[in-house]
Parts: sequence; C-alpha cells; structure tokens
Amino acid sequence: MTTGGDSAWAARDKCAVVGIGSTAFSRDSGRSVLTLASEAALGALQDAGLSVHDIDGIVGCDHDRVTPWTLAASLGATGLDWWAQTGPGGGAPCMMIALAVGALMSGQCKAVLAFRSLNGRSEARLGSGVPGMGGQTVGGFGSYDEFYLPQGLITAGQTFALMAQRHMIEYGTTAEQLGAVALACRAAANQTPHAQMYERTLSMEEYLGSRMISTPLRLFDFCLESDGACAVVLTRADRARDLPRHPVLVRAVAGGAPPDLRGGMMFPAVTRHDITDIGGRTAAERLWQRAGVGPRDMDLAQIYDCFTISVILQLEAFGFCKRGEGGPFAASGALLRDGELPINTAGGHLSEGYVHGMNGIVEAVRQLRGDGDMQIPGAELCLCTGGPLPVGSSVVFRRA
Amino acid sequence: MDAKPLLPYTDDRDTRAFFEAAREHRLVYRACKDCGRGLHPPTAHCPWCGGWNTDWHPAKGGGKLHAWTTVTHPIHPAYKVPYTLVLVELDESPDVRLVGRIDGAPALEAGMKMRVWFEAVADGVVLPQWQVV
Repeated sequence: MTTGGDSAWAARDKCAVVGIGSTAFSRDSGRSVLTLASEAALGALQDAGLSVHDIDGIVGCDHDRVTPWTLAASLGATGLDWWAQTGPGGGAPCMMIALAVGALMSGQCKAVLAFRSLNGRSEARLGSGVPGMGGQTVGGFGSYDEFYLPQGLITAGQTFALMAQRHMIEYGTTAEQLGAVALACRAAANQTPHAQMYERTLSMEEYLGSRMISTPLRLFDFCLESDGACAVVLTRADRARDLPRHPVLVRAVAGGAPPDLRGGMMFPAVTRHDITDIGGRTAAERLWQRAGVGPRDMDLAQIYDCFTISVILQLEAFGFCKRGEGGPFAASGALLRDGELPINTAGGHLSEGYVHGMNGIVEAVRQLRGDGDMQIPGAELCLCTGGPLPVGSSVVFRRA
Repeated sequence: MDAKPLLPYTDDRDTRAFFEAAREHRLVYRACKDCGRGLHPPTAHCPWCGGWNTDWHPAKGGGKLHAWTTVTHPIHPAYKVPYTLVLVELDESPDVRLVGRIDGAPALEAGMKMRVWFEAVADGVVLPQWQVV
C-alpha cells in the first residue's frame, strides 16, 4: 500500500482519456450550442477511433443548455444508457471525469463522453450577471441570491474582487502579482494558434493600464467570454491500449468543500470566515493521497482561471506554495513555460478561451500525449482544477 | 426611464423573516440557541452543532468591514457606477457577514466600524444598508 490507505483509489490509473475534440473558440460561433457540442463530440470520437454507437454514457454540466440526451439525439448515439449532469459551473469538468470513472469502474459504461458547450459571448454572456436575473425579483429557494443581487453584487467578477481585496489585506498581494498570472497565460496563448489571444501580446504596463472593472480587478484579470465546445471520451485503461491514441490515464480525482461551506452558488461563499481559503484545499488533501504523488511531482497544471486571483488561491490550496504566498510564487516566473510549474499551457480561460474548465482538460491530454503547441518537454503528470467557488474539484492525469 | 433595481424574493420560508424585520427597520440574524453560532445564509438546521434549535435574534446594527470592491464597470442600469460593495461582519456573530452598497468610491480600510441603516427600494421592500461610523 503506497497510498496512505484511501481505498477509494482502487481506481488509480484504471481509466483513460482516449479522445479529445474542440471547436474553434470565437466571439460569435454563429451556430447553436447543440451544433458546437456535436462537432466537439464527433471530433473526440474520431480522435478515439470510436463511433457514436460505442458511446453508452454522456455527462454534461448543470449550466449547459445542451442535455446529455439531446446531444445523444443529435449524434445518433442510441446506445445511451447512462447520463449525468454535474456542477457547480466551473467545478463541473473535473467532476465529470470523476463521474465517468465511477461509471466505467462499476461496469455501467464502456465509453463515456464528457462535454461542455456554450455561446458564452454571443448568446449568454456570463459577465452580464447570474442566470435567472432577468426578472425583477431575485433569489429564494436556497439560492440566497436575495441577499446579494439587490445590493448590486451581481457578477462572479465582483465576488472574486472581494476575495482579491481580502487577499491583499491579509497577505499584501499586489496588482503586479495578479498581473503575472495574466501574463503567463497570455505568453502561452501567444504560442498556441487556436487561442483567441494568439496574436495579441500583453505587457505588464498594458496589464496595469487596463481599465478597472471591480477593484482591485482590472480587465485583464478577467477571463474571456467565448463561444466554443470541448469534449473528451473515456474508457477503462485496458481497453484504451487497443485504441489509436496514446492513452492519458486518470491518476486520481477529488472534490472538496471548505470547512465552513455555505449554500447557494458563489455569493454566500464570500461570507465564510476565511474567504481566501477555498474548497480546493480539502480536495487537494484527498487528491494527492489518492494519486500517491504531490504538487512537486506535477510537470504542469491547468488551473481554473476565471480570474487571476482564482489561480493565486488555487496555487496555495493545492500546495504549490504556502497560504498567502501565491502572489510572490506567480511573480517569480514559476508559471511560465520554463518555470517550476507551467500553467494553462494553451492560454487558459484568460487567453485561450472560456469553455468553463473543459478546455483545460483537453489541453492536459494534449500535453501528456506530447502534442501541445507550447509543449512542456517530458510532461508526464498534469493537475487540472475546477471551481473554485463554492466547492473545488480536481484531477491528476498521467501519461501512460 | 429609470431602470428598476433587482428586488429580493421576500417570501422564502428560510429567509423571509430577515426581510420582514427590515421592513420594520430591524436587523435580525439567524442563530442556534444551543451552540450560539450564527447562521447566514439562514438555515433551519444548525450545521455547527447538528441541532434544530435555531431562531431569529435581534442585532444592534453594528459591524466591522471585512472586505469591499468598488464596481466601476456598469452591469445593471439601476446600479450606477461607481458604487462600492461592502462585506460587513456583524458585531453579534463572526459567523454572519452581510453585503451592502455605498454610492461612489469611498476610502475604506479593513476593520472599520460600520452602522446599519435601512433603504426602502420598493413598496414594502427594505434592505439593510451599511455606512462607515
């Protein structure tokens, strides 16, 4: 026993991502989210050397307008006999991998498709406020939005701004340190032709000069709003060996809640005692135990970057640095291609595109196959994270 | 035409007492009578001690500033920028933090003493708001 005895991790390295697919990322796809999801799914199946008839499970995100069965109908995947939707929001993709592992390990499924599709710029801009805000009366029924939206706390950006402000108060985190996250993601995007910011460089001067959105967060602290879809196909590892692509194993998965978890989505999370401590820290404890490796073993990471501050908080939560030291860690150059922990190697949500965590999973697989545009040499282990509010989720992938 | 602000749903079975009290210019918070811990957002069950002996308690209306953000990018037409969202910890319980709004971009510091006031936002709808003492 090398794991510290977490028997849940009988699943270590037993399942694999065997196919990945993506659409182009844009400001206006001109197509429905179902069409985008179908294109990404068919791309992932083709990559895996599988047909739509091989798929028996589909898992999606609770925020997706495309349900698993609607995607199955579009694909002609009539073998569907297992489906799931998970969340919350950006916490979904890593938990989709966890659900797929459960379905495969229990024998319920032989091939699971996980997907996320959104016209996040042209149809449903996430930055314009929370879903359901259209009516004049808001909240109730366990959302708790009645305490926040009427005050003008409306967006995720404002919520993370409160966390960033508190991180600055407690640890002296600076704008330049947040900027180091934005610049690292942009530098990766500049090496990645499909990234939305491929041709647009970003200097610290430009970062600091960008307009303030919600203090202390500026325009370039915010991720892109994008149209696009991503999908991955998973099978058990023994089957993966017979498929055409080099398998990328699911080493471990874990979710986690912060110690004084609050209900609702993101707003109540900022009323916790320690608002810069996130569920990712709980997830990390389980993740590293299940994986039998630790943060220092990661060759790279895809850190969920809805905002720059989200990355700082997760670097601390997953143990890459101590609490409060995420800012200096980012500013040290650690997150760059040649740094200690290259992150978001296709540009992340900040500069590649925002597919709500799913593009990070796809990029992890690309890197561990050795197919990255900004390939990290010898990459064997990659962390992916999701969340980070109200709960966190995570996966370690390993090159087979 | 002036845009209308977003109004709270005030008939939720777990949270309506907060808004009923605000309508009478009283600030209340939910707390557990067994362990004494505050509960916000309000719940009938106490997650701290596992009991059901929870109820609404009056607060004197004092708090301290935990964090804030000045919103400079307009999102909703009823909320004119700049405005500053304040996160205030209730004096009676560190478990209870409430969000309020101050017009403009005031100079603020963590730990500042704050005082509640009551803003009528629509007929019969009142929100507790916070100002620096």
